[in-house]
Amino acid sequence: MAALLPVREQASGDGFFATRVDALVNWGRKNSLWPMPLGLSCCGIELMAMIGPKFDIARFGAEAARFSPRQCDLLVVAGTLTWKMAQAARTIYDQMPDPKWVIAMGVCSSSGGMYDSYAVVQGVDSILPVDVYVPGCPPRPDAVIDAILKLQQRIEREQPLKRVFALPEHVIEQGSGAWLRAPNSGVPKSASDLHPHDPRARRAIERREIERQGSGGGKV
Amino acid sequence: MSATAPPLSASAAVLGALEGVKCEVSMGRDGVATVELARELAHDALSRLRDRAGFEQCTLVTAVDHLIDNELGALAHAGARERYEVVWQLLCTTRVLGGRAERVRLRARVSESDARVMSCTDLWPGAAYAERECYDMFGIRFDGHAGLKRLLMPDEYEHHPLRKDFPHEGIEPDKLYRAWDAARRAAEPARDAGQERS
Repeated sequence: MAALLPVREQASGDGFFATRVDALVNWGRKNSLWPMPLGLSCCGIELMAMIGPKFDIARFGAEAARFSPRQCDLLVVAGTLTWKMAQAARTIYDQMPDPKWVIAMGVCSSSGGMYDSYAVVQGVDSILPVDVYVPGCPPRPDAVIDAILKLQQRIEREQPLKRVFALPEHVIEQGSGAWLRAPNSGVPKSASDLHPHDPRARRAIERREIERQGSGGGKV
Repeated sequence: MSATAPPLSASAAVLGALEGVKCEVSMGRDGVATVELARELAHDALSRLRDRAGFEQCTLVTAVDHLIDNELGALAHAGARERYEVVWQLLCTTRVLGGRAERVRLRARVSESDARVMSCTDLWPGAAYAERECYDMFGIRFDGHAGLKRLLMPDEYEHHPLRKDFPHEGIEPDKLYRAWDAARRAAEPARDAGQERS
């Protein structure tokens, strides 16, 4: 955890940490995700395998599955959600205390999957705010572990203090992958600082091209 | 697997029990005697088969929607036959026919405008669930059923999904959920405030 920098031991005999409140809170939250397993079909079996000793999400602090939504902060919708069950799923989500996150596990909960049917919710994002989608039918436990790791990276970038004081939060662009970059990477100063695959780098290069053509007397 | 050939005709027990009942008995391709009869006679025939022919289990109550038949397939029958067909299948655990426990199937046509038959829950209480499912999926009413309500779909649901004219993606599938959600939000507006993070 880069944000928790130990102050030099020589300076203080007993040792302490200097950090930001945001970083500390996020560190605590991301390493103690308690999943609420909403096992609705075969994905539920993979979810159980993930919690069990072979895949062992205890390594990431997310093994404490509780069957009371009051004790959970991670709703894993694992399987086919029907419209009849949607009310129960929404009630469970409402009963979970803030902050809370949602993983849509498997194609059924992500998009309805193969069930293009009158009875099935075509993607749980129509009733719940989903943070991570996991493809697969059902996804392997590794894939869901990857989702949890991605969610941890996202939680690292949240700003709980700003929410406490009702300040505007830094908006993460949809699809920009910004929440996967390091927390303190900040705003890049020039296009050369960016990773070449970053869409902003490409946009900056395009802009430079247009400017160069413009200065060369060509019509833009 | 038994090497016995499938029976060519209905057993004497079935024919004897149905003596005097206006019906048409044939042999299904699967070796199950099939009795076609008017829906008014179905309950009488079922009780005769139970009491006189020893069919002590009702294994199946369901329906068939012949909408496609009427429109495209059997044009000769178009309009002449009713749209739905209720199917019962009974099992006799003590008699063997063609190497298997004997079964018999009853089929009765019911019309779209008056889709109802007599319930057989007085003969086999266990048929109650099958009749509820049949009502839920096809909208066929079973007279005499003590608690005929939907089995799978929500109670307030307005359609019967296994009817052939029902689109598989549904008609406003989220209608009941949205109504519930709106009522919930109206009751507790504070709870959702600031909850929906992108």
